[in-house]
Amino acid sequence: MNILGKWLCLIWLIYSLGSPLLASAQEGIFLKEEEATKAVFPDATSFLRKVIPSNDELKDKIKQRMGKTLTSLWEDSYVTFVAKKGETILGYAVIVEEIGKHRPITFIVGVGSDHKIKDAALMVYREAYGGEVRDRRFLQQYKGKQLKDPLLPYRDIQNISGATMSVEAIGRGSKKALALVETVYLEGTERK
Amino acid sequence: MKFVIVILLSLLILPALCAAQESDLAAEVRELRAKLERLEKKMADEEAQKTKKTEAERAAITEQVKKDVMTDVAAKGQSYFGKLIEQTKVGAYGSMRYGTSNLDDLHNTFTFRRFVMTVDSPIYERLKAYMELEFERFTSLELDKKLTRTAGGGLTSEVAIEGTAKSEISMEQAWMQYDITDWLKFRGGAVLVPLGRFNINHDDNRWDLPRRSLVDKGTPVLPTTAAWPELGAGFLGDIPIGNTGKLSYQAYVMNGVALNSEIEQIGQTRAGDTTKLAYEVKLQPSRGTFSDDVKKGKAIGTRWAYSPGLGDEIGASVYWGRYTPDFLPNKPVFSFAIDGKKTWGPFEIEGQYVNTQWSGVRGVARGLAQRAISSSSEAEIGDVETEVEFELANLASRKQGYWLDFRYHFWPDFLSNTIFGKHFHNPQLIATFRAEQVWFSELLNSVAFTGGALTDFRTANRLLNRFTLGFTYRPVPLVALQLAYEYTRTNRGKSLSSVTNFLPARDGEYFQNAVLMGLTFGF
Repeated sequence: MNILGKWLCLIWLIYSLGSPLLASAQEGIFLKEEEATKAVFPDATSFLRKVIPSNDELKDKIKQRMGKTLTSLWEDSYVTFVAKKGETILGYAVIVEEIGKHRPITFIVGVGSDHKIKDAALMVYREAYGGEVRDRRFLQQYKGKQLKDPLLPYRDIQNISGATMSVEAIGRGSKKALALVETVYLEGTERK
Repeated sequence: MKFVIVILLSLLILPALCAAQESDLAAEVRELRAKLERLEKKMADEEAQKTKKTEAERAAITEQVKKDVMTDVAAKGQSYFGKLIEQTKVGAYGSMRYGTSNLDDLHNTFTFRRFVMTVDSPIYERLKAYMELEFERFTSLELDKKLTRTAGGGLTSEVAIEGTAKSEISMEQAWMQYDITDWLKFRGGAVLVPLGRFNINHDDNRWDLPRRSLVDKGTPVLPTTAAWPELGAGFLGDIPIGNTGKLSYQAYVMNGVALNSEIEQIGQTRAGDTTKLAYEVKLQPSRGTFSDDVKKGKAIGTRWAYSPGLGDEIGASVYWGRYTPDFLPNKPVFSFAIDGKKTWGPFEIEGQYVNTQWSGVRGVARGLAQRAISSSSEAEIGDVETEVEFELANLASRKQGYWLDFRYHFWPDFLSNTIFGKHFHNPQLIATFRAEQVWFSELLNSVAFTGGALTDFRTANRLLNRFTLGFTYRPVPLVALQLAYEYTRTNRGKSLSSVTNFLPARDGEYFQNAVLMGLTFGF
């Protein structure tokens, strides 16, 4: 068997053995909706899906809450979830998008009733570089962050060299999610 | 009597009453008929309207279906290429600088270092392509050639080349990648050689100093200068280790670095002497060919890096391959590098050490002597002296060196309301100190040969040091304005030009003080 044949056999073998892991590498799609909600609220037993249509009034309220942080894109509507364990509300999750360098990054942000981020998870990453923002070790920095935090590299977020644009995008999107949850679900409740 | 009167009156009034009742009934019937007619008319009108509305709706639905079908057909027609073009992104990075120096032959000057166009495209699920095309100090290139009749008989062939100084157009990367899974991705094409950390992260706008490091570019200790791509194929991937750790690797088989010729053509007029026409053929290590390889052996390169946590990494890399073309003795070059980065909040230390050994440099010189016969041949006809010279350059039995960057990111609040801060969300100031050293063992100084035999082979051990202090302003992550002071020094009394590829130092100019102002950007 020539060298090319051996290489092809090796690739086929690895491909076959690794098939359970393959789903994780599909065109940058890392999580589907139902997986994403579980990723940010693993203890929840049910999720109530609500689509919040966006309008100028909602945008204004979000903008106001985000302060100096400017979003790179406005969604037409927001897919949100109320995470429950039995009858108890654990928190709210929002799917948001922000432009990294050239393309939008889609991710989910879970926000607790205490107005703080419970967790975040990357759903779709489309950029050629900077995919490290999907790593758990990066995203776990956002746990406990709230609207008053800068969520910026070299301030309160550890940067990823060569992926600064994506790091900033995750920060902007997290703030947008916090602002939306406060506006839609937690209006009038007190920040802890 | 009364009874009779009542009967008579009743007989008289009753017919009148009956007549009146008959008349009321008729009126009522007429009215009912009219109502019925109006109702019928109304129903007919409503029916007509309903029919009209239904027809209009039917027409609208038909139109919509037509539209949908057309859209669907159009979408299907352009679904692949349309999506491909839409998803393909063009980007770029570039840098320019203004520099001053104490060296006599180095003018204060603006230099447009490079403009690199990047294209990336997701071809299909798991398949993507990436390309970088570099224009280095490039402004224009014009070629002209013609074949004409010579007056009085014969043919004249003319070739004219018009270009700009130190210009280069270069393919820095052009590869396709198949993501089999996170820990196994296949990459093939013109790939960056994974030796050290700079070559694989060489974009100018990622760095805070306006000049690249000595070991990667200015000397270099890498087998050839960064950015260093080679044509080849291999695998790369990331393997998670524990909660926060990650192991990354890249491994390729490539054509590899080879001694390649650079031909310099010199026309020279000299006071009180003949006019000189010289061809200098310089054989020096260059990136491997993207065409037929000049040697049989292929090179291998691999880098393994462990990151225990975000912002921290330590890497080790190796490159090995034959560097001599087939007409010279078979000799390999071996390089290894250790690199790393450590972050403490806004403070970073990043560095790289590279060690390269060129085997059998003397044997290569001897082989060249046997092939080229004479290192220098000259003849004088009338007032013109012609010379052809062969030279072996940029080789040493061993080169080793390092760079070490200390960086501090900060932003004073009082600048937030000035022009430096008020228009930007997260501007940064970065103070950098870089220390660099390179040691050369048996650096080739001169080689001469006649009649196929080596007559002169001189080497020297040299040292090169550089310290840089820099200050960078980044309004956004992709743009940096840089200011730096550099002190470069080699052995006392020796020239910096013999150990660097960018300093035109005269004999005895062994140090340089330079101030650089740089601008780098990406989009």
